[in-house]
Amino acid sequence: MASRWQLLDHVLRGEATRGDQLVTGELSVGARQLAPVLVALGGLYGLCMGSFGIIRAYSTEGMRDGAVTDAWLQVAATTVKVPLLFLATLVVTLPSLYVFNALVGSSLKARSVLRLLIAMLGVTLAVLASLGPIVAFFGVSTTSYSFMILLNVACFGVAGVLGLAFLLRTLHRLALAQDAQDMQRRLDASRKANAEHESMADEVVETEAADTETEDKDEPDASSAPELRAVKAAAKRGTNVGRESPLQLIGERTDGRAKAVFRIWVVVFGLVGAQMSWVLRPFVGSPDLPFALFRERESNFFESVAGAIARLLGA
Amino acid sequence: MIASVPPSRALWWQRPFRHADGVLRGAAWAVAGVNTSRRRRVATLLMLVFGFGALYGGVMGGFAGVTPDRWLQMTYSAVKVPLLLLATFALGLPSYYVVHALLGLSRDFGDAVRALLATQAGLTVILASFAPVTALWYLSVPDYNLALLFNAAMFGLASLSAQVMLRRFYRPLIARDPRHRTLLRVWLGIYAFIGVQMGWTLRPFIGQPDIPTAFFRQDAIGNAYEAVWNIVVRVLSG
Repeated sequence: MASRWQLLDHVLRGEATRGDQLVTGELSVGARQLAPVLVALGGLYGLCMGSFGIIRAYSTEGMRDGAVTDAWLQVAATTVKVPLLFLATLVVTLPSLYVFNALVGSSLKARSVLRLLIAMLGVTLAVLASLGPIVAFFGVSTTSYSFMILLNVACFGVAGVLGLAFLLRTLHRLALAQDAQDMQRRLDASRKANAEHESMADEVVETEAADTETEDKDEPDASSAPELRAVKAAAKRGTNVGRESPLQLIGERTDGRAKAVFRIWVVVFGLVGAQMSWVLRPFVGSPDLPFALFRERESNFFESVAGAIARLLGA
Repeated sequence: MIASVPPSRALWWQRPFRHADGVLRGAAWAVAGVNTSRRRRVATLLMLVFGFGALYGGVMGGFAGVTPDRWLQMTYSAVKVPLLLLATFALGLPSYYVVHALLGLSRDFGDAVRALLATQAGLTVILASFAPVTALWYLSVPDYNLALLFNAAMFGLASLSAQVMLRRFYRPLIARDPRHRTLLRVWLGIYAFIGVQMGWTLRPFIGQPDIPTAFFRQDAIGNAYEAVWNIVVRVLSG
């Protein structure tokens, strides 16, 4: 178990997504390894979320029959529901993300996409769980249900934004690492071709030597980080646009498109997550209503948040 | 890297997904002759249409809830979505062939059909990837008319995205003869014209909660364009 938490720490510190870790074009973050950690973190936040209901139930004891039992049931349900919320959102959005990713011809395989998203959820849930104590503190000290709703929405919002920012940054690094690798491969190939050429035609040895010299100058230092290499590669590309092979150009265009797909997906993930939280409600549990695993189908997330703001401001 | 050979070493349950991945990425095996026989390739593409189409259809028919008496609606819709796509495809082919023959391009017709069929398969894969989103929509918005519109939007979005694949599969044909570009537009016209009526004829897909489950509506015989015109007239006349 300890190694799993270490893995999460690794992800949070960005060590798992450093340039030199990505040269294979894949994250070294196992989905199965990280999943239990994610569930634990989500459950932890769920407990903090439910603290409000418990305190309210005990402080108003006797006002409604079974209020205390309801509150404990609510805590249990919320502990399960927070991890479920993230899982369900992932299940809903992953197929279309993968399909569009493949459609634009991105080089990311299904497993890489999954690992990327698991790492993202790791960051999101770690941030969320770290905000848990604050939520628990307010839960103990506040009586306003609307305030608790909005505080939780804000916490989820902060965690989501940080997680998705991590996702986009990692994606960018993956693209850079891949670029550097492609460049290295092409350099190797051209050097090999040059060597063969030299051995074949000795009379043009002078011009060839000049060629290999420039190649050597461009050749990235093996000890430098791939990101640095990528920067060099990009600089080289900028000066040699005319010499790009058509295949290379296609590759670059599709990588750009893959990034666009992920940017759109980030928005979709946010919207679906918000609506999913509405479908899975109640999380906090209104003190006036009896416990229910799920509520009736009605309204939507955004309307309800607007309502909570209006109530909080006394409208 | 795009695999040029169909993935045959994968486990049985992985194979459809590998094939789907290949179609989405415009793999060469889907259209050009590599290793497998043409008949087997067409069979693979048809299986994709049936499998992934049924997946979306099943979810699509679940609007009225997943109760035993609505089970049938889900099954019907699972059958009808692939039927809708393939019947439209089949009805459009003869006229498409004639246009090819008239332009003296009947030599390329086989390749064109395979490109179109591969796109159909890709379209159903895209559609199937929307299935969980549709399920979430059903769960959170109980309005039948909005469900209708949402499904229309999903079909529209899938068709638009499939254009990427279609262009990829058609590129060699257009390189061979630029007139294929015009032919492709003709095909999209034919397909859309038939598809609208086919969708109307094969109603219901979603299943209105207060009407009993049926494979076809009793009043299904009719004209989609006429019906749409009537709705427009009704709206305009108040």
